Amino acid sequence: MAVSTVTSTTVFGQDTLPRLFRHVVRERGDRVAMREKTLGVWRAVSWRQYGERAKHAGLGLVALGLVPRDVVSIMADNCPEWLYTDLGTLSVGAVTNGIYTTDSAKQVEYIVNDSGTRFFFAADEEQLDKILEVRAACPQLVKIIVFDTEGLHAFKDEQVLSFEDLLELGIRYEAEHPGAFDRMVEIAKPEDLAILVYTSGTTGPPKGAMLSHRNILFQIDYSDYVAAVREGDQQLSFLPLCHIAERTVSVFNPLRTGATVNFAESIDTVPENIREVAPALFFAVPRIWEKFYSAVALRMRDATTPGRLAYRWALAVGGRMAEHRVAGRRPGLGLRLLFRLADFFVLDNVKRSMGLHRARGAATGAAPIAPDLIKWYMALGIDMREVYGQTENCGLATAVPPDRIKLGSVGVARPGTEVRVSPDGEILLKGPHVFMGYYNNPAKTAETIVDGWLHTGDVGVMDADGFVRITDRMKDIIITAGGKNVTPSEIENQLKFSPYISDAVVIGDKRKFLSVLVMIDHETVAQFAQEKNVPFTNFASLCRTEEVQRLIGGEIERVNRQLARVETIKKFRLIEQILTAEDEELTPTMKLKRTFVNRKYKDVIDAMYAEA
Amino acid sequence: MADTLLAVSNLETYYGPIMAIRGVSFEVPERAVVTILGANGAGKSTILKTVSGVMDPQKGTVAFAGREIQGMDPDKVARLGISHVPEGREVFPFLSVRENLMMGAFTRRDPVGVAEDLELVYSYFPMLRARSEQRAGSLSGGEQQMLAISRALMARPRMMLLDEPSLGLSPRLVKEIFEIITRINRERGVTVLLVEQNANMALNIADYGYVLEVGRIVMADTCARLLEKEDIKEFYLGMKESGVRGTRRWKRKKTWR
Repeated sequence: MAVSTVTSTTVFGQDTLPRLFRHVVRERGDRVAMREKTLGVWRAVSWRQYGERAKHAGLGLVALGLVPRDVVSIMADNCPEWLYTDLGTLSVGAVTNGIYTTDSAKQVEYIVNDSGTRFFFAADEEQLDKILEVRAACPQLVKIIVFDTEGLHAFKDEQVLSFEDLLELGIRYEAEHPGAFDRMVEIAKPEDLAILVYTSGTTGPPKGAMLSHRNILFQIDYSDYVAAVREGDQQLSFLPLCHIAERTVSVFNPLRTGATVNFAESIDTVPENIREVAPALFFAVPRIWEKFYSAVALRMRDATTPGRLAYRWALAVGGRMAEHRVAGRRPGLGLRLLFRLADFFVLDNVKRSMGLHRARGAATGAAPIAPDLIKWYMALGIDMREVYGQTENCGLATAVPPDRIKLGSVGVARPGTEVRVSPDGEILLKGPHVFMGYYNNPAKTAETIVDGWLHTGDVGVMDADGFVRITDRMKDIIITAGGKNVTPSEIENQLKFSPYISDAVVIGDKRKFLSVLVMIDHETVAQFAQEKNVPFTNFASLCRTEEVQRLIGGEIERVNRQLARVETIKKFRLIEQILTAEDEELTPTMKLKRTFVNRKYKDVIDAMYAEA
Repeated sequence: MADTLLAVSNLETYYGPIMAIRGVSFEVPERAVVTILGANGAGKSTILKTVSGVMDPQKGTVAFAGREIQGMDPDKVARLGISHVPEGREVFPFLSVRENLMMGAFTRRDPVGVAEDLELVYSYFPMLRARSEQRAGSLSGGEQQMLAISRALMARPRMMLLDEPSLGLSPRLVKEIFEIITRINRERGVTVLLVEQNANMALNIADYGYVLEVGRIVMADTCARLLEKEDIKEFYLGMKESGVRGTRRWKRKKTWR
């Protein structure tokens, strides 16, 4: 069972990202690597162009004084320049680090200084302002490069240059130093630090997880776990590239698969962009899957009676197919034919409306999801697989295998790695995917990696077949005043399955009973109020209406019926503000942060328990 | 505060397949000045048109003095005491100023009262008296706006719906018009529902304000409090911190808090 940790991992015979990148750029030449929509038209970038621009970005940095192992930070939404900078930096032996565009100037200052960032890439004027505000406190910072200089024509600053200027510097450097780039590509060794990924600290400041070339190549080598992605397959990139999952799916894996990455115009246009792109592989966080489902559920509520009946029938047929699949049985010919019919008349249209009609594979991860939701997608005929992992193991740790599905489990250990459950229930990981440690933080590293085992902080169980079930984050487990252990995320996932609930936080640590703070889904609840003729003005007034309170109360009751007695939710409150990713209580992927919510809504929570 | 004069709930109005008003509810108390702010295309004018009966809502109710009036013909609504001053004045260009004013009193059968009101509007806008025989089409924009307001006043309404009275007027005229609107409200007890782009003016004369964004209300508060909100300051009053470079161009995300 012992896994050798010195396995050399290679993809196409290459053992570092710069070498792999150089290799695939040569191989693929003018084939399309990515597309970006400008002025309403999808414009393609070939692998050759990708390679050239990355090279010039990297050499431009060298011309500005970058030396190997320097840290380069990128603060931008997903765009081709992000990728040019990423691979360009890596190719000259330096380290890249992504910063969320929703971070404040103060957070930027912390990360820039903690990582010792010497070159900072800002998406536009808005992000530039953040770094300018704090640059006086970042003495090691050499240059700031701006991707989109719109509105900055009158702005002149010694330390700031545009991305075009950087590429120019790179072109000149190349002309003056022929062959230098090829030598730089050889600098990085497989065990060297490649990227830093800062993990949002719910307790304490964020920590920079160090991932090596080997970590990343090991994961790239497994890029076909959900579906065999082929060259020319379409993908859509919209989740933040700072997140290891999106970085893997949209930047690293395509190096092996050759899939074309299409950049969504913005987070608001994702539904339209998916329909345009019709991706072959789609990875999303549960929140996105929940939104898709809610949209369909609501549309069906407004549908004509025949439409509704057809939907219900088709879904029932699909559901039976899914049951066979879960049980590992081959469905009978009759059912298969029936499913073809259901798919042709109904399900395919549903998938088309979501843009998933060409999806050969779909994966969900980065947060817990309700098994019923996976079942719904499976009934549609979408091969939806749950995966589990974290930054510290470079993305994927376990995945549901295609031939053995256990709903509610996150699957089995990725081949070549081990999973174990510690005596106190913590999930432990071992293998070439385990990270190098936290940047400049040996104490935290020592706490996290013990004897080669990565302590994930997640509590779970593993069955005899090696299937892992995650119950919760270790520190999130609630112990009620009565001494009962409750895993809040299970309850929260059930709640989030409701189209009216966008997110929820269960409360009850050291309390007599459980309660919950609910963030409603603005769109669907407003529609509900409209249908029921419930007058409301703004968001807060919508939350306060008796009917909405009853609606959410009903949804909570529905979940309560599925819970054990100690676990039932006795009270709830709605969060009366529309939260955005800029708010500290939301993560960039729009999840509520338990600790912040508990702190910020302390008064509301205390009031719930005071009146009991 | 006083009783509710106008209560709109769950209003939905369409232009063909386009839903312009996506479920709007609000109230206007008797003798109050209430304003609805919003960008172009937010649906402000559509709300006024739906209230005055020019457009019919697909859904929702409009209650005036306790009586449901949605879908009623505009002339009936006018007879109930709602005068609509449309955007862009819409005076009768070939009629004289005086004839225009008398059109406003068309439904009235009390010559004495009409004569009194004519004097009243002349006292508010002396210039209209001086030009009473001139064709309305020959008036300047500001004068036409005064005429449109006066014409609405001639119906002796309980409530006036004003659609962007400041449109295309000089700052001095805007000030003047708003002063008169305030006087009409205070002296005549006319309830005012005001739709404006000039948020600064509107928020200063109104008691209560709603902010409309793409057919839905996102903010509702007293005007004094609205004036303090960050989003209102940045997006409606054009006040913003200049940032480190002194020339900030990008806008914050609206949060409506």
